[in-house]
Amino acid sequence: MTQLSATQYKRRLKRIAEHPAMSAENITADRASMDKAAMVMIGIGAILLALTAIGAVVVNGRHALASYAVGVYAVTAISLGAMFWVMVFELVRSGWSAGVRRQFENVMMNIPLCVVLIAPILIFELAAGGVLFHWMMDDADQYLVNKKSSYLNPAFLAVRFLLYGGIWILLAMKLWGYSMAQDQTGDRYLVNKARFTSSWGMLLFALSVAFFAFDFLMSPDYRYFSTMWGVYYFAGGTFSAIAVVAIICCIAKFFGRMTGAITAEHTHDMGKLMFGFTVFWGYIAFSQYFLIWYSNIPEEVAWFTHRKENGWEVLAWLLVFGHFLIPFIILLQRPVKRSLIGLAIVGVWLLVMTTIDKTWIVRPMVYIRDFAQYNPGPAGWWLDVVAAAGVFAVWGGFLVRRIARVPLIPVRDPRLLKALKHKNYV
Amino acid sequence: MALADYLPIPTSKLPAPLRGPSTKFVLEDGTPVHGMLAQYSKTPDLVHAVEAVRDAGYKVWDSFSPFPIHGIEESMGFSRTKLPYIIGVAGLSAAAMGFLLQWWISGDYPMVVQGKPFTAWQPFVPVTFEIGILITAFTTLIGMFAFNGLPRHHHPLYQSERFLSSSDDKFFVYIEATDERFDPEATRKLLEKTHPDHIELIGQRD
Repeated sequence: MTQLSATQYKRRLKRIAEHPAMSAENITADRASMDKAAMVMIGIGAILLALTAIGAVVVNGRHALASYAVGVYAVTAISLGAMFWVMVFELVRSGWSAGVRRQFENVMMNIPLCVVLIAPILIFELAAGGVLFHWMMDDADQYLVNKKSSYLNPAFLAVRFLLYGGIWILLAMKLWGYSMAQDQTGDRYLVNKARFTSSWGMLLFALSVAFFAFDFLMSPDYRYFSTMWGVYYFAGGTFSAIAVVAIICCIAKFFGRMTGAITAEHTHDMGKLMFGFTVFWGYIAFSQYFLIWYSNIPEEVAWFTHRKENGWEVLAWLLVFGHFLIPFIILLQRPVKRSLIGLAIVGVWLLVMTTIDKTWIVRPMVYIRDFAQYNPGPAGWWLDVVAAAGVFAVWGGFLVRRIARVPLIPVRDPRLLKALKHKNYV
Repeated sequence: MALADYLPIPTSKLPAPLRGPSTKFVLEDGTPVHGMLAQYSKTPDLVHAVEAVRDAGYKVWDSFSPFPIHGIEESMGFSRTKLPYIIGVAGLSAAAMGFLLQWWISGDYPMVVQGKPFTAWQPFVPVTFEIGILITAFTTLIGMFAFNGLPRHHHPLYQSERFLSSSDDKFFVYIEATDERFDPEATRKLLEKTHPDHIELIGQRD
């Protein structure tokens, strides 16, 4: 962009503004009704989370916290996945995504909410001396816990959590700030600043997401270790973020917004990325399982053994087919990838699957040492559904609220002209 | 005698190199006509010309340009290739074959490896995956060559001095004589309507 003179650049912005797809009603959501929808979603979410709290007293506190954590880890993965895409788009100066990037930014800006949602999990764990985090409990294997205590101790865990949250919020606010400022001023150099932020941000992002996954999803069973765990958690977020954006675009299209700004070409590209990262998830998930299965080290294998008994094997097989093989076959079809409705339907399915993935990881921790101690059984399953749905509803409510407050596409992005004319020549 | 003469399918369904010359029309010196070449000097002229040829219903023809023209595939009325379906069938059956091969061998000659069960499916996955990828890649490459008729080292078009500028500053439309609708008079009339700089017949010479 630096090779354009100021006049040329002004002319480009004018051409963007005059594009038929850039009319005001096409790129702004109906704020009043969106706010109403957001309030309804947050209200439903609050009711469901209140039911979860009741369930914690009536059914089982440990079960309730695990069900809540499932939802929180899923929405955190999605928000982080959206931030990953924003940074990738900035880093590679991607032209096609300039229009849809705003929706990824909207999802990304739910990260502060996710940090707020994670905090209660940590507080309960620290206050109760371990609910799901078995290394905090007195009856843990003290030899192993002592060996790992320089890393696995409550104070350091709290510090690390603040560090992860700080990194994510800092990155999200910076990227969001540049994008907002660009909407106002049209300053083309803001793109370069966002790109610089993404360069060091990507490194911090990768490390913080991996260690967050180690701390919150892997360490509850302190005997287990897998260096692939970070990328496994990350893989679950990347395609989910695209799924959420596809759903947003589909709903926006249904209400006659973003016509001409988000076309089948953009949908096609999002579909390709969704396909690629669904396969990536399958690849990572199988690789992790396969290496552990082959090496047969007791403390690693035990993690999988717990998840292949007591009915969890049903979820494991559901993940193999529902999370990998079926989406693989469906997303292989070109017409599905080019249709926003098709992509949104697959997106909803994948969001359910990624939540089941987190369920499969987190929920067995409720009774991992003693199955007879507490077995929820089908009668307690409502708690899992209610808690995860409550978290998703609150998260979605805040997302809807934000979508209504900003233009649906970055109106003065210098690459927008390229995005509006984007076409796949395959 | 062309290779096509040995094949029990209509020659028009074959890729160009296998099709053999059409002897329906001949030049003054008796050489069979291979096709008709029209030259243009502006991109819009070429795009309008290919649209006219597409609308006239020609199937065996091509256009040439020194640089890529985005959107010309639509103007030429390209349909999507059937290659992906062939690749899909080949890849999936190769993966199934790879799995069955291992399953058969480990049933026929069971070996204890690290005390793992004989019936374990896990060790079969990498080989299944790899053979699926390998055959998919081969089918893609070979299928692509089979469909586009490449590689070929010579084409009758190279006889034309004018055609050399297709890599410099001129655009061309070439309609082959094997097309069912090809007729020296009618095709020339159609091409003349698109305002070419020049039209010539190309003979089937090696």
